[in-house]
Amino acid sequence: MIVAERKPIEEILPWLEGARSVLVLGCNECVTVCEAGGKKEVGMLASALRLLFAKEGREVNVGERTLERQCDPEYLDELRDTIDAYDAVVSLACGVGIQFTAERYPSKPVYPGVNTCFMGAALERGVWAERCQGCGQCLLALTGAVCPVARCAKRLLNGPCGGSSAGKCELGPEVDCAWQLIIDRLKALGRMEDYERLIPVKDWSKDRAGGPRKVVREDVRS
Amino acid sequence: MSLKEKLAAGEFVLLAELEPPKGVHVAPMLDHARRLKERVEAFLVPEMHQAVMRMSALGAAFLLRQEGMEPVMQVCCRDRNRLALQGDLLAAFACGIENLLVVSGEDPSLGDHHRARAVYDLSALELLEAIGGLERGRDLAGVDLEGAPRFFTGATTQAGSPGRSAELEAEDIAQRMRAGARFFLTPPIFDPELLEPVVRRLDQGRQALVPTVLLLKSLGMARYIERNVPHIRIPPETIERLQRAPDKVRECVQIAVEGIRALRSRGYPAVAVATLGWEDKLPEIVEAL
Repeated sequence: MIVAERKPIEEILPWLEGARSVLVLGCNECVTVCEAGGKKEVGMLASALRLLFAKEGREVNVGERTLERQCDPEYLDELRDTIDAYDAVVSLACGVGIQFTAERYPSKPVYPGVNTCFMGAALERGVWAERCQGCGQCLLALTGAVCPVARCAKRLLNGPCGGSSAGKCELGPEVDCAWQLIIDRLKALGRMEDYERLIPVKDWSKDRAGGPRKVVREDVRS
Repeated sequence: MSLKEKLAAGEFVLLAELEPPKGVHVAPMLDHARRLKERVEAFLVPEMHQAVMRMSALGAAFLLRQEGMEPVMQVCCRDRNRLALQGDLLAAFACGIENLLVVSGEDPSLGDHHRARAVYDLSALELLEAIGGLERGRDLAGVDLEGAPRFFTGATTQAGSPGRSAELEAEDIAQRMRAGARFFLTPPIFDPELLEPVVRRLDQGRQALVPTVLLLKSLGMARYIERNVPHIRIPPETIERLQRAPDKVRECVQIAVEGIRALRSRGYPAVAVATLGWEDKLPEIVEAL
């Protein structure tokens, strides 16, 4: 999932200066799972904003809405009849949803209510960790399904650096050395010969080196 | 007199672009420089122009400096993070390189290493501010330096490019000037009139602008630029003139000479000549001026 963190309300508040009506807009996908921008968080942010506006003596109507997805025009269209009632939108979707909402409603100011962090998974309740950087050319078949691009601090593709010690990264004892994880995994799979195989210098043009990316599937295009 | 002093004294300054070699044979580059030494005030050394891997500008600028010539070293945001940029700037100053040209750098996808990962840790504006910091004796982490460099720094502008807003270009120049840039290199200019909307909006008029004159190599190149390079405009008269010319190369040199003369007569303090590998034509150009 795309993992996000809620922004502090003090950061959001100045953007809403002068607004008489604000829509807090959640998303029912990734940000709901990582508890940053689902229906529950929409309710929490809306209540906090109402309190702060009341404290400032401002009469601001704070609306709440959570769409199935903000990265899909079909669901964004559900706002068409109501969005004009609001001066501003605070979107709790990931950066994709925030931008897509703004693109769909060009005359409406849309502000981010979260910081979008990475693609990751829940290690336990309340702890999410990065697993994928969307580099566009997956190497997991060669590395025992442990990603050195996302999990090695230096994105090394051919074994650990000199900073790896007792299975930990030079960044500190709380960071696993990705290459230790890869070696452990290859051993468990009986595939240590893969460790000896050199991975060629990475083609970063599939990543961001070629500018903003797009996937086009002619077979499913309408 | 240094480049900075010559510009301050109001002397017309000619800069020549010299590409570092793709390899370690530096003799041709140095030979070109020696031939031009008396007629050109400084040499502009690009940093892997168009993202094509070559000897670094730092190395080539240092070699020119050793020969007693004055280089303007390009510093490019594409390939180095803030540590490497600052470290190389200190090295450059210690090697006698005092003139800089800050550029963003073209995306690696346009060059010969299109699989490379670009850096862009700092933008050109942030790099200008970082250079200012080094000059004040502090690095970007706020740590004091043991001895501060002193540079004469320029930046690029898109002034004269068709399709760019003159207001935004003038604002951009003003912003970069506040960040420490003292001169602004334009894209290749074939019609000086195109610079006027920006010049009119600048407090210092044309005094901070250094227009580039690009030596065309053929009619095909001129047509290609006109069709495919949106930030360079070649007037139809120039293309027609090349079409009619019996000796195209000679005509290309003549067009460059006339371009420099036209810009000098309009009062620009300096002009940079870019030859894209035809450095051997530079003596002919400068002698005809």
